[in-house]
This record gives sequence, structure tokens and C-alpha cells, in this order.
Amino acid sequence: MSEENQNQGDDGPHDGGHQVNYAKIYVTLLILFAISVLGPFIGEITGITLITLITAFGIAFVKANLVIQNFMHLRWEKKIMKWVLMASLVVMALFVAGVAPDVYNHEGNNWENLAAKAAVARGIPGGEHDAEEEHEEEEPAVEVVSAGFNAAGSYAMICAACHGATGSGDGAAGVLLDPSPANFTDPTFWPTRDDARIKTVIRDGGVAVGASALMAPWGALYDDEQLDAMVEYVKLFNPGGE
Amino acid sequence: MKPIATTRSATGVPTGRLAVWWLLASEVVIFGGLLGSYLMMRLGHPEWADAAMHTNTWIGATNTFVLLTSSFTAVLAHQAAEKGDGKKAAGLLVLTIGGALTFLAIKSFEWYTEISHGYTITANNFWSFYYTAAGLHALHVIAGAIIMGFVAWDAFRGRELQRVELIGIYWHFVDVVWIFLFPLLYIAK
Repeated sequence: MSEENQNQGDDGPHDGGHQVNYAKIYVTLLILFAISVLGPFIGEITGITLITLITAFGIAFVKANLVIQNFMHLRWEKKIMKWVLMASLVVMALFVAGVAPDVYNHEGNNWENLAAKAAVARGIPGGEHDAEEEHEEEEPAVEVVSAGFNAAGSYAMICAACHGATGSGDGAAGVLLDPSPANFTDPTFWPTRDDARIKTVIRDGGVAVGASALMAPWGALYDDEQLDAMVEYVKLFNPGGE
Repeated sequence: MKPIATTRSATGVPTGRLAVWWLLASEVVIFGGLLGSYLMMRLGHPEWADAAMHTNTWIGATNTFVLLTSSFTAVLAHQAAEKGDGKKAAGLLVLTIGGALTFLAIKSFEWYTEISHGYTITANNFWSFYYTAAGLHALHVIAGAIIMGFVAWDAFRGRELQRVELIGIYWHFVDVVWIFLFPLLYIAK
């Protein structure tokens, strides 16, 4: 495939006079793409977050430029088109430059953005504000759950996506997870579990007991009593249970 | 008889192509404004990192690959059209439409997972931006796929081959927008 395309790409005169090797551009794009995906891992290993920024955004500009110049043929386009696009970019840049200081800062000489400050204070863990409030912002399910809590409804809404409506770990959202979501209908699952462990996992996530981090912590959604109710509900899936 | 605008060209750029570039110039402001706003808010709100953690990098990466590949088939379609091979151009456009549909299928799966976990458009400002930006982009993907269907239909019969380039330019722009959305929403966490 690539060899065939290469020949086509080199076949300039028929292609509006443009000598572009499209296959080569495509492969270059893929290599750049791979680097941008690997960037965060390299950044994490080396501890230099700047690497992630460069591989993410620097490469985005390079990729965009390759596509615009070679695939959209802007290189060979009349000057007027470049000016039109440039004008657009300038308008956008003016907008961003004009608004950015007011959005980025949460206070100035004569003003203070209380709502933004409160949002930051709520969202940063370890602050004076309690975790409930933080998660209220993030997870709307909080309200829904506490307004009229029932374990079955909550299971259907929150857990079933991965653990499946019947508890067999076959929810659509869990298909691609590795390891797979726990299968509550598997008798071998239960001997190693007690109420305390299940409660911990629901509240603090799989990592809390050294299990998969893909099991998210849901503690913000439930109070202690509701957590107990969820544990009792999940236990209903145990085929060996009473 | 074609409308006079089809053949008239005061700027030296064919009218159709001129129109596509004008359209894209307006799109630059639309998407640029949206992404610029996102960036400003993100820098001012470090707590967004908490929410951004939950986007799935691998799904985003797969979709990036799909769009890059569809851009490649779109430019090959243009090349075929330049050579007057309408049938081949149509075939390559159909492949590009396939890319669009794959992208949308993956996106639906992704959104389904997120929404079922409570990460909806009203969850907080991060998710509002996430669904607005990716949603507006997805609408462009849908529009592009539909138009490409019409262009491919004509191209297959050897008609209006210049349109293959026009839809291609639009499609590459949709790709370029995603090239920026990908690091903004999925990589910079």
C-alpha cells in the first residue's frame, strides 16, 4: 500500500503540479502522534513535566502545520487565502489576549472573582472545605443519590455500567477493562470478601485494598449508612448467599 | 448550464475553494475562541486537573489515529480526482466516511461510559467544556461525512470532481481541530 502511494505521491505533474509524497507525510504524522502519546510517560519517568507540554502542544502545532501545508495545500494557495486565515487567527488571538488576564486572574485592582476563588478552594484537596463539597461539583450523582436513596437504583445507575445489571461483571463499560470488573455471581469471589472490605472498596476504590485502580472510589456519593446498604445489596448477587 | 459563480474567479482561486477557505476562516474563530477560553479557564482553575484525570487517553489516542488516517485517504481521493479517476476518488471518500463513522462510534462508547459514571455536561465546568468542544467537533464530523457521501456519489459518476478537493480541505480542518483537542482534553492532565 505504502509503496503504491509513494509512486502516486511522486507523480507530481498530474497532481496539480504539487510534489507531495502523501504517504511520507502520513507516516511522519503517525510518528509524531506516537511521541505525543508517549510524552506523559516520559515526563513521569524523568519527572520533567515540561516534556509533556512540549510533546503535547509543540507536536500538535507541528502536526497541524504538516496537515495544513501538505494535505490542505495551503503552501500552493494564493496569498489572499493565507491573509484571510491569518486575519482570523489574529482576531482570535486578540480575543484571547484581551480576555485572558481577567479569566486567568481571580482578582485585580478593583475587582475580585469570588465564585472562581470559591471553586478553586473547593476543588483543591487538603483545604479547609470538606470533601463532600468538592465532589458535589464534580459528580452530579451526589444529589440524585442522596435525594431519594435506594441501593438497587443506585447500583443500576452507578455500578451496573461495569459490573452489569445482573452483577456478573459484564457491563458494557467494563468490556475493555483489564482486569475485568468483579463478577459478583461467581461463588469463588465471595469467600475472600467480607463486609468491611467491600465497603472499603466502594468507598475508597480498588487501590484501597491493593486491587485494581479501575474500580473508582465512590465515597463522595454515599454516607456511612448508604454504604452499608450498598454492601448488603451487592451481597444479594452471591449465589451461595442466604 | 452552471451558475456563473461556478466558473468566475476574480481572486484567481476557484470560487468553490474560495468559499471553503472563507468558511474555515470563520471556523478558526469559532473553535479558536472555544479552545482559547478552555485554556484560560484551565490555567486559572488548577482543580480542573481532578476532573481531567478521568478522560480516557487511549480512547482519545485511538480517535486521533482514526482521524489522521481518514485525512490521508481524503488527500488520496483528491489526488485521484486530479487525475480524473472519479471511481477511485469515490472509493477513497467512502473509506474516509468509514473513518468518520469509526470515530463517531468510538466517541459514542466513550461518552456512554462517562455519562453513566455521572460525568455529564452539567457536572462542572471542565465537563461542560469537554462536551461542548468535542460535541461541536463531532457535529462537524457528522456534517463532513454526509457531504462526503454526496460528493462521492457524484465523483463515482465522474461528475464535479473538483468537489473532492473541497470536501477534503474541510475534512483536514476537522482533523486539525482534533489535533489540538487531543492534547487539551486527554494528554495535559
